[in-house]
Amino acid sequence: MAPPVKRQTRKGKHPMSEQKIIEIEVLRYKPESDQAPHSEVYKVPFTDDMSVLQGVQYIKDNFDGSLTFRWSCRMAICGSCGMMINGIPKLSCESFLRDYYPNRITIEALANFPIEKDLVVDLSGFIEKLEAIQPYIIPKEPRTLEQGEYIQTPEQFSQYIQFTSCINCTLCYAACPQVGLNPDFIGPAAMALLHRYNMDSRDGGQAQRMELVASEEGVYNCSAVGYCSEVCPKHVDPGNAVNVNKINAAKDYFLRFLSPKGGAQ
Amino acid sequence: MSKRRPYVRPMGGWWKKNPFYVEYMVHESTALFVAAYAITLLVGLVRLGQGEAAWNGWLEAMKSPLSIVAHLAFLVAIAYHAFTWFKLFPLTMPPIIVNGKKLEPEVVVGSGWTAAVLAALALLGIVWRIAA
Amino acid sequence: MEIYKADVVIVGGGGAGLRAAIAVAESDPSLKIALVSKVYPMRSHTVAAEGGAAGVKRPDDSFDYHFHDTVGGGDWLCEQDVVEYFVKQAPVELTQLEHWGCPWSRTADGHVNVRPFGGMKIQRTWFAADKSGFHILHTLFQTSIKYPSIKRFDEYFVVDLLEDEGRCQGVVAIEMATGEFTMIEGKSVILATGGAGRVFRESTLGGIVTGDGMALAFRHGVALRDMEFVQYHPTCMPITGLLFTEACRGEGGYLVNKDGYRYLQDYGLGPLQDKPKNKYMELGPRDRLSQAFWYEQQKGRTIEHPVMGSVVHLDLRHLGEAYLRERLPLIYEMAETFMGIDPAKEPIPVRAGVHYTMGGVRVAGNCESSLPGLFAIGECASVGIHGANRLGSNSLTELLVFGKVAGDEAVKKAQSLPPGNSATLLKQAQAAEQRVLALKTKTGGTERVATIRKEMVKSMEDGCGIFRVAETMQANCDKLAELRERFKNINLDDKTSVWNTDWLSAIELDYQLDVAQAMAHSAINRTESRGAHQRLDGPDGAYKVRDDVNFLKHSDAFYVPGSAPRITYGDVKITKSPPEVRVYGAAGEKADQERKASHV
Ligand SMILES: Cc1cc2nc3c(=O)[nH]c(=O)nc-3n(C[C@H](O)[C@H](O)[C@H](O)COP(=O)(O)OP(=O)(O)OC[C@H]3O[C@@H](n4cnc5c(N)ncnc54)[C@H](O)[C@@H]3O)c2cc1C
Ligand code: SF4
Ligand code: FES
Repeated sequence: MAPPVKRQTRKGKHPMSEQKIIEIEVLRYKPESDQAPHSEVYKVPFTDDMSVLQGVQYIKDNFDGSLTFRWSCRMAICGSCGMMINGIPKLSCESFLRDYYPNRITIEALANFPIEKDLVVDLSGFIEKLEAIQPYIIPKEPRTLEQGEYIQTPEQFSQYIQFTSCINCTLCYAACPQVGLNPDFIGPAAMALLHRYNMDSRDGGQAQRMELVASEEGVYNCSAVGYCSEVCPKHVDPGNAVNVNKINAAKDYFLRFLSPKGGAQ
Repeated sequence: MSKRRPYVRPMGGWWKKNPFYVEYMVHESTALFVAAYAITLLVGLVRLGQGEAAWNGWLEAMKSPLSIVAHLAFLVAIAYHAFTWFKLFPLTMPPIIVNGKKLEPEVVVGSGWTAAVLAALALLGIVWRIAA
Repeated sequence: MEIYKADVVIVGGGGAGLRAAIAVAESDPSLKIALVSKVYPMRSHTVAAEGGAAGVKRPDDSFDYHFHDTVGGGDWLCEQDVVEYFVKQAPVELTQLEHWGCPWSRTADGHVNVRPFGGMKIQRTWFAADKSGFHILHTLFQTSIKYPSIKRFDEYFVVDLLEDEGRCQGVVAIEMATGEFTMIEGKSVILATGGAGRVFRESTLGGIVTGDGMALAFRHGVALRDMEFVQYHPTCMPITGLLFTEACRGEGGYLVNKDGYRYLQDYGLGPLQDKPKNKYMELGPRDRLSQAFWYEQQKGRTIEHPVMGSVVHLDLRHLGEAYLRERLPLIYEMAETFMGIDPAKEPIPVRAGVHYTMGGVRVAGNCESSLPGLFAIGECASVGIHGANRLGSNSLTELLVFGKVAGDEAVKKAQSLPPGNSATLLKQAQAAEQRVLALKTKTGGTERVATIRKEMVKSMEDGCGIFRVAETMQANCDKLAELRERFKNINLDDKTSVWNTDWLSAIELDYQLDVAQAMAHSAINRTESRGAHQRLDGPDGAYKVRDDVNFLKHSDAFYVPGSAPRITYGDVKITKSPPEVRVYGAAGEKADQERKASHV
């Protein structure tokens, strides 16, 4: 019987049954008493099936109930539990302590966001960006419920489906230096969502969304670092959405000269 | 009154924090070599317009050890630039969908390389024939 | 204290809450809606639903079939008039979701596709790969952004309901980022706070599924109905409890024991089928499958693992990698990342885990509770469609159908009522604030949140398991009473205001203890076996069987401050399906035919 351990890291016979101790260094910040964040180290007993999130929960349950972080689903779908783990943005529920042992592991709140407390960051800016891109179907051809569903061929479906997979975990924002340098930049995930609706055969809102794409907060903030797509846990490739929209925005700009009605149709 | 006091971490030296960023910075800086080489060629063109003596002078300058070292540096930097530029292909291009499946990034990068190598060979062939 | 005056307050930003908010915004754009949620809406646990949502779609299907599957699946404890409405509205709502952009999986000709699901006679489960809940939730959240009348209170934690002039008039909430209190007034209040499965140990549920709304209504005198019915899902990941969707079996997966034998054929679900066949074998209902797991364990035919405990195998190998990646991509990834298993090459070890709360806040077909102005929808509610055992994929549809109903009803209410008396409400809100603050600021306690929680979930698992006997159920009731006492002596590590999750989880634990007690006492009082409530005891094993004479009844648990809940019983609405023997497999097909014959 195969023990539930990732192939590459399987060690020993029953790796799940041995308890080991790993050091977890957490960047802590208590706004009501600290001037700036500082690190604290905890020694956490773990088994090979334990995620980094479970490690952090262990600290909260057993050492210090004031340790603060977001989590819910434990299965990499709710997007709550992003953290910088050894400097890399990751979902802590699908990162495993065994992959870092025997080294110390460092955990910090997601980069490029203000820290509210410990591992919790301020997401209000991100949410405003999501709201700004008109993330809903603006029907190309309105249809009543009696007429049933829209028909969508496999080709039409494949145009946008990849960009629907975003779980809003904001790892890509933590990966993007341009977001850090200019917090107003609309950023990868929001742009991927915008692109998702633009590419949907049911939608006719591309022209309405174009203003934002080409605006000062828009795609031209991107210098094609590409790390956003690298860290995305859901293979959304948000960097691609941003860069394809650079092309779209440029096309739209030139088409505006040629046709009095404007481009992007 | 709210007790919130969000802490904003400084961005200074951000590019040193992750090997991925370092690679990005190196990629960006190799663009300078591309520019330098372009300027070198441009100077050659201007020299050509100024008459045979000027052109020959430029050719001589190109043969100097300093120039050869510089060109070797150009070669390495531009090769690296090209390599990382091709790597960015899948990021910057609209996805190519064949039979409802997105083309794998390796395939995209690979076709980019193939096209580049073919173009280079063709150019070399033409130059060869002219020279012969 | 901050004050916000809304017309309709919705607590919960999951599928149910969002659908209700959109319904209100569409039917009367002049009404102010407050949508309150303790997590950003797209983090709600609807996001985790994998398999899909049921609604008649194919020409060979009918509302009647869906009705009978649901009522039979619920072991005749469903409100049949409500089920009739539900099955008719289901396809309408699922189509509406398609118009809003939900990327339902399609057939080659571009129509929405449907897949088979446990206990359903015909394929009628609409799915978006194996991320159906994720896509439903994100579609609803994104669509809700279109409506300016929806004001969201994201990361606001509701701690009490406001009640004046005999009706519910708003809520009190903590703004998590500051730790400060806000009073949100409303003429109708809709609870959409999700299930309560986190009172158990091994479950498929997210950390936020703590039964808050149930406890809130309960404490205001509203009954919690049918709380003894807790669904165990037969295919969960050992230890974490993460779910391998029923769609694994709908797509053709097998369940085998340590001898590689498809054991379900021994439990009235046979004969053996090669291809997935509706209501046979692996596509039987969940209660039966989880019970079969338990029997296999008793017979020593499960696989014993030193850490994972007893498991059986979910075998998907014969489906091949390409098909699995297309139809079950999330499952594939989960098996790889969490277990290091390639499901195309190895079977996946699974066991039964807690999954769904059939019971909840008792509401009528219009979703209103016994407290006027207070509505409940989604998993926190008991509107009566699940009975003693929910059929997989009925609940996502429920969110939509009854989200819409509650939204429309809440509009009627809000339009017809005068504004409340703000001064009285504020006084109430301030009292609630003092009470909740005291939990944080008090000193000298010795109990930790984590300790009490750990003991609670262990006790619930032992006392409210797949099979139940009076002795352990009593022990569970006693343990919960003890924990209730000990909770008074709690001490928090964190006494600050900003983002105090230590405090919030103590409030959640308080809710959970109430809900757990309602479950435990409803369970011990039902001396029969029905659906998910299976007993092994009674004089001569009398409780092992269904008892329609005494227990074709809903249980109602009422809150009694400082003591165990009071349990009473209410009638079940039967319209066209009188109770029958509940059979699946070949026996089920025979019964179906007999029913048809007798109807002609
Ligand atoms: C793993 C899994 C798979 C499933 N698969 C299927 C399936 O395939 N088909 C199917 O039909 N069903 C499925 N279900 C069941 C179904 O997903 C749930 O019943 C349903 O999503 C519940 O939705 P809801 O809107 O009632 O609650 P949730 O989505 O849980 O939302 C609850 C909301 O209430 C809020 N809330 C709670 N307490 C408070 C408070 N105190 N203050 C403020 N806000 C609060 C939360 O923030 C959240 O927004 C599945 C369930 C699980 C766990
Ligand atoms: S695009 Fe990827 S990394 Fe960015 S928020 Fe979405 S899922 Fe997360
Ligand atoms: S806890 Fe939901 S993504 Fe990690």
